[in-house]
Amino acid sequence: MKRELTLRVNGREQRAVADTHHTLLEVLRRELRLFSVREGCGVGMCGACTVLLDGQPVSSCLLLAHEVRGRSIETVEGLAQGGTLHPIQEAFIEHTAFQCSFCTPGMILATKALLAENPDPTEEEIADYLAGNLCRCGSYLAIIEAVRAAAERWRAVGALR
Amino acid sequence: MVLREREPGTSAPVVVGQALPYLDAVERVTGAVPYTLNLELPGMLHVKLLRSPHPHARIRRIDPSGADRVPGVAYVLTGPRLLELGIGTHYGVVIQDKPIVAIDKVRYVGDIVAAVAAVDEDTALEALEHIAVEYEELPAVFDAEEALRPGAPLLFETLPPQRQTFADIIVHRAEGTNLCNHFKLRKGDVAQGFAEADELFEDVYSTPAAQHCPLEPHVVLAQWEPDGRLVVWSATQTPYSVRADLAELFRLPQAKVRVLTATLGGAYGAKSYIHLEPLAATLALAARRPVKLVLSRQEEFLEITKHPSRIYIRTGVKRDGTLTAREIRCYWSAGAYADISPRLIKNGGYASPGPYRIPHIKVDSYGVYTNLPPAGAFRGYGAPQAHWAGECQIDDIARALGIDPVELRLRNLLRDGDAFATSEQMHDVHFHELLREAAAKVGWGTPKPAPRPGKAIGRGVAVALKSTVTPSTSVAAVRVEADGSITVLSSTVEMGQGAKGILAQIAAEKFGVGYDRVRVVDPDTDITPYDQSTTSSRSTFSMGTAVQYAAEDACNQLRELAAGLLEAAPGDIEIAGGRVFVKGSPDQGLPIGHVLARTRRQQVLGHGTFVTEGGLDPETGQGVAAVHWHHAAGAAEVEVDLETGQVEVLRYHTEVYVGRAVNPRNARLQNEGSVILGLGQTFFEEMRYDDGQLVNGNLADYMIPSFEDLPGSLSSRFVEHPSGRGEAHGLGETAVPPVAAAIGNAIRDATGVRIRDLPLTPERVLRALEAQRAARPPAASSDHQAQGER
Repeated sequence: MKRELTLRVNGREQRAVADTHHTLLEVLRRELRLFSVREGCGVGMCGACTVLLDGQPVSSCLLLAHEVRGRSIETVEGLAQGGTLHPIQEAFIEHTAFQCSFCTPGMILATKALLAENPDPTEEEIADYLAGNLCRCGSYLAIIEAVRAAAERWRAVGALR
Repeated sequence: MVLREREPGTSAPVVVGQALPYLDAVERVTGAVPYTLNLELPGMLHVKLLRSPHPHARIRRIDPSGADRVPGVAYVLTGPRLLELGIGTHYGVVIQDKPIVAIDKVRYVGDIVAAVAAVDEDTALEALEHIAVEYEELPAVFDAEEALRPGAPLLFETLPPQRQTFADIIVHRAEGTNLCNHFKLRKGDVAQGFAEADELFEDVYSTPAAQHCPLEPHVVLAQWEPDGRLVVWSATQTPYSVRADLAELFRLPQAKVRVLTATLGGAYGAKSYIHLEPLAATLALAARRPVKLVLSRQEEFLEITKHPSRIYIRTGVKRDGTLTAREIRCYWSAGAYADISPRLIKNGGYASPGPYRIPHIKVDSYGVYTNLPPAGAFRGYGAPQAHWAGECQIDDIARALGIDPVELRLRNLLRDGDAFATSEQMHDVHFHELLREAAAKVGWGTPKPAPRPGKAIGRGVAVALKSTVTPSTSVAAVRVEADGSITVLSSTVEMGQGAKGILAQIAAEKFGVGYDRVRVVDPDTDITPYDQSTTSSRSTFSMGTAVQYAAEDACNQLRELAAGLLEAAPGDIEIAGGRVFVKGSPDQGLPIGHVLARTRRQQVLGHGTFVTEGGLDPETGQGVAAVHWHHAAGAAEVEVDLETGQVEVLRYHTEVYVGRAVNPRNARLQNEGSVILGLGQTFFEEMRYDDGQLVNGNLADYMIPSFEDLPGSLSSRFVEHPSGRGEAHGLGETAVPPVAAAIGNAIRDATGVRIRDLPLTPERVLRALEAQRAARPPAASSDHQAQGER
């Protein structure tokens, strides 16, 4: 049954109409046209559909859209501010921390959550935190380098957005 | 960032050889990559598929009328309806054996029985439940060797038609069997070679089915234009091959079929050749609406897989370690439809003797139909299976002879001028350097670190070679625009390997402009010229050369145009830094754009075609298999837990020959990605079937490598030609094949157990350790257990 719902996405109130059984992933892509959110497995194992829900990384394929009404959702589309990339995005470019890039938005959001919790993670801590985000191209070493570089900027500027 | 010295006389940096970021790096980190998955067409229908629950069955009756009546359903395609449409019914890149939907039989669990096109996915899914199918189950066969035995259930009662698609493909089949292709290689006389040997070694190695798991699934959209043209947007590695096959199927001139391909979210071989395009186009034709078909992750496991293999390998060797003969039988389970198996079993077959000087070789490589999901190209293309067998056995031979495994390989490895199994003379091969360096990187010949209690540490190496498809053809066009910017028209598919950036670098260098002045157009068969495929690690070399030729052609045209303006002979005119000038006077020339404006030409179009030659004799497999050889060495240091069978990779290093690295950063990513893929297939990736029913077809049950699977240290090095002007080799697959054997050999070194079946799960390692403990007292040497053991 279709019902209207309101989501707070990337700092803005957004209205959508969705069936009660539709996932957050489906609503973000179909209704809100946020194509950075991607289905890789549909069972919460690959991390390609990661979004930040009240700052925490979650698999949007496992959440029903109506479950998260009114909650704050962040996707990679909301990271760059006024044409300036987020420092994590810059670090991913500088270290070419991607190949096909299908997993990249999820990796970047998980990294943002990681650095909010732990501004100076070790390689092991990065690997542990990001283990739920799969990269089939195998760019893991470059991603670890990018996360370390982003963390350094965190400490240099005092805070990340 | 690595920046090369500027060459004298140019005002722009040399871009080939620079570690430049991807051209579309910003899109990649902002989620804006326009994958085919994001594409929508006005009025499009969504498709869901009904699949066979049986591995082999005759369809007695199919009734879609219930589905037809579901509101929102536009069209339901079944076998009987397909036969009424007046189009071709079967397709396949080499053998036309796959029906668009099942007609009389289903041949694997997951075979497509019917397809529903509806206004949305939910409706299409609901309609599937209203299609009634009656099956008569048939005996099924799941193992390639069993399928070849007389009396085995037949997947095809008569041989499906074969097409002459690619010049290198040789097909030997036999009516009334499940043989999909038999590749034969005959060099010298193996009987003589074995007679000359002091020792014989005979083993059997196996590898399981595996799944590519590109995170973006197969996606295709199809639309028929009012003038009867077919337009298909497909996430494919082979737009031109798809176009040719669609044209044949729908009886259209190729010029009236248009295939467009956006950047792919990964492929690894899964998206090569024709897949779901015929089904989407048929539905669009019948429903008179555009359609979009996206596979779910579970369906991806049913679409295309890595060939399960069993390889019987017999090797003769003299006491000094000289190899005298190798006789190999390879059985590859092709699954229910041929796809590209006829070629893959050839390439895996000639790779199987390994990169060694062996005077007498006999290979019989059999691709065999079985009632499993089809198998096709997968990063490495038969070489991982082949080298798993050959490189493990070489290690056992060395140990049995009391020769260091690196040393034994060094004595036999191919050098320039040596004859390979195909008798072609090797050139530009660097195995000795690659192996020595790889071994040194894991401390070969130095004392091992002390293992933790209950564990054992070992080291292993492996080498590998892999062909690149030969003969092959790439065509490119390079347009110089009125402002001096450059458009590259190429049908190379960007699938994450960074091909567009590589081609931009190659073009930019010819004009001496920054590579950000270059745009590389995505494949569109209406616009971008022919390319054989984005497979076989061929794009940097083949398309790169075609782009280079096209850029040179454009430069020559610019020289002709500028000759009058600069009052000089065209041969005295140079182009660099985006300017055209008389040799020696770079400051007095003109910007490229001014030349085009002043001659009123506005645009110059350069053309480049690159064709390689080669091919093998159909009876002996002798000839030229590859225009050049991709080659690598890998070395591993592992720690084995003797109580749990858990293996930890402490260090892994890969050495890969690249000739010339166009973009060192991309090269590193390819090497690391190849090793990580190899680690998954070594340790845990296995599609498991129960009577043909896949039991782990999702990413919860089928694991692919995560951050947690990285070795303690993973390093890679690509080796360039010492001249600095080497021929660029592709790198997409080269580092994959040594991984499993290097690790298997390291486990052997650590524990004395030889495991011949992948994957090397803790259970399998533990079982082997327990069998070893049960078989003999702990002090006994394990070095002579290799022969004849399974």
